[in-house]
Amino acid sequence: MTLILTDEELALADSVRKFVADRSPLTSLRQLIASGEPYDAAVWKQMSAQLGLAGLTIPESFGGAGAGYSALSVALTELGAGLVASPLLACVLAAEVLLRMDDDSAKTELLPKIAGGELIATFAVASSAGGHVTAVGSGGASVTLTGSVSPVLNGAEADVLLVPAQAEGGTVICLVDGGAAGLSRTRLTAVDHSRSLARLALAATPGRVLAGDAAAALAAAADLANLALASESSGALKACLDMTSAYARIRVAFGQPIGAFQAVKHRLADMEKSWELGNAALRDAARAGDEKPDRFSVAASVARVLLASAYADAAVDTVQLHGGIGFTWEHDAHLYYKNGLSNKVLLGGPGEQLDRLADSLGI
Amino acid sequence: MSDDFRARARAWLAANAPRRAAADDEAEAESRGQDAVIAEQKAFQAKLHAAGFAGITWPAKYGGQGLTGAEQIIWSQESRDFELPTGVFFIGLSMPGNTLVELGTEAQKRRYLPKMLSGEEIWCQLFSEPGAGSDVASLQTSAVRDGDGWVLNGQKVWTSGAQYSDFGAILARTDPTKPKHNGISMFIVDMHAPGVTVRPLKVATGHSPFNEVFFDNVRLPADALIGEENKGWDAAVVMLRHERIAIGTMGSPRTNPLAFDSLRDLAAGLDRTADQGVRRELAELYARGRAVQLFALLLREETQAGRPPGARGSVAKLAGSDLGRFAGNVAADVLGDQIAGFDADELAAVTTSIIAAPGSAIAGGTSEIQRNIIGERVLGLAKDPGVDRATPFNQLRVGTQRQQ
Repeated sequence: MTLILTDEELALADSVRKFVADRSPLTSLRQLIASGEPYDAAVWKQMSAQLGLAGLTIPESFGGAGAGYSALSVALTELGAGLVASPLLACVLAAEVLLRMDDDSAKTELLPKIAGGELIATFAVASSAGGHVTAVGSGGASVTLTGSVSPVLNGAEADVLLVPAQAEGGTVICLVDGGAAGLSRTRLTAVDHSRSLARLALAATPGRVLAGDAAAALAAAADLANLALASESSGALKACLDMTSAYARIRVAFGQPIGAFQAVKHRLADMEKSWELGNAALRDAARAGDEKPDRFSVAASVARVLLASAYADAAVDTVQLHGGIGFTWEHDAHLYYKNGLSNKVLLGGPGEQLDRLADSLGI
Repeated sequence: MSDDFRARARAWLAANAPRRAAADDEAEAESRGQDAVIAEQKAFQAKLHAAGFAGITWPAKYGGQGLTGAEQIIWSQESRDFELPTGVFFIGLSMPGNTLVELGTEAQKRRYLPKMLSGEEIWCQLFSEPGAGSDVASLQTSAVRDGDGWVLNGQKVWTSGAQYSDFGAILARTDPTKPKHNGISMFIVDMHAPGVTVRPLKVATGHSPFNEVFFDNVRLPADALIGEENKGWDAAVVMLRHERIAIGTMGSPRTNPLAFDSLRDLAAGLDRTADQGVRRELAELYARGRAVQLFALLLREETQAGRPPGARGSVAKLAGSDLGRFAGNVAADVLGDQIAGFDADELAAVTTSIIAAPGSAIAGGTSEIQRNIIGERVLGLAKDPGVDRATPFNQLRVGTQRQQ
């Protein structure tokens, strides 16, 4: 197991980076903010169908590329650096849950469509403060679902939703159609302009219980969410570091480029340090995902814990070190600041992550 | 080849190296006497060298093994679980040794390197002075031309191992009329020469892990010069690079009382693990410690792939010091009011480590200097204004001055 990127991974990073620069620069995020669209459908089509990013972790037998977690991490790092708005994270997590469950008909029907970008799927999970859904049996695998959950990634746009719910015998994971009766979906005001989030309200909504170990699938999805959000945060942190270093080299005050002043230089040095450490932890987590599955959960927690906080801090420093210009709407710094705030808490915030890590480490 | 080396290393370590958790060198020296510890380490180093595991990347004609970074990494991996009693050679081999390999004359390399590797001679490094720490180029120790050699006068400080070293690599000013960086030379000094006085330096923990060294009219022969006269700063930069890499990649000792495993066990023993704050701090300590280890590993892999870390070694140094400080805070929180007064040896060891933690952010280049290096040489930011860079040394204000 090596931490450095393979030639294939470097090539993937390169092609995603070029794609982001050509097809989804930050100006296009500003167009989405103006239009209110959750993402650019043409960009998503290219990302999924042409670049194959939606199927990186889906096996070839289900129409994906079977490239693995490290490839996904590499792609998400570049997408995170460019704050690309897309339903990729929602689809990847939903696919992970389907893969971990034992429902062959759902896998065969849904996974190839997810891999091809034809179907938007999401995993409707939130913290205990975000609501709660109960399932009541209505014969065989059929249930009716009642409750609410928020925030759900791409919840308003998803064609299918995987909803964890409390049933009589414990937690189950249910497949719910986006157009199901009694399902209402409200788009939320997302602090991060690059995410589309929704609240789901379910009132006797029909769903189908997926066969398999729901607890194990939930845990696997939580681990993959940690890897994914750590990857995006690593890319975005590096983007903040590059942007702010570049500015500190050219902005002059008191007769010197501001980077000459230790008050500025040392903050950037700390940002470089936190990126290097987070990146090393991220590489370890991505490799463990493919090669050492028994170490993956802890490694992904470590990467998430470090990068979520480091990125949120770096994004604030990016605003601060740019001075007044960094606090304007026109400057990109606030886009990262808001993304950093959101990435830190989505799918399990810092306290929850540390508690889970403490359990895993036998503290 | 590599597989063969790994198999040999594994077999030799299993047969010869102690797995026990060795006490720290200083505590061991206090209980057993320093001479006994030195004798044991010299004997072990000789065995290590004879078996072909000392100077792995150094040329064979100077006593090295003539192998590559790949074998060095294999050795680090295989020896990680052992406590090799070679601590007294660490500074000499990683700093003056590697610098001589790069800059030494043929005669110097043939004279000194083989005896370093075989454990016959111990070396130290003499850079810092009472008036020259972070700004080490403002050093005042002088070496004045006398016939074909020099006469050395001055004081060095923070010298590890001076009390048992045979030789040292020393920086001294050879031309005070030049700007500070341009009038320094590096020399080999015989630590047993007349005029050399070594005194232990007691630090905040109450222990004396360093020395002050005084030079009073010490003769340096013509062949003592390392590199060129007045080009000692270039040699110092080479040595400091080796120092940062050595410190950044040496990893933390397994017996570190501030390591995650130690503090988790301590917290369990003190019944502190039900406290959510303590649990979260310990989990974060694990995450931070793991990242520092993984970054060192990443740097080694990059080096092996032909991309040496350069100034990113400073990131490793800075990260290690920050980790020590964070671990000190976690340890203090685990101990709670037990840190204020204790009578158990276990708590004394942890408390000493907490008190020692800030030292790592000063030793081997302060964290402030590391941040300057990272800012300027990794991120390409403008250099510090450096008002003294062009001024002749003898017109500069240096050291600690109470007036003006």
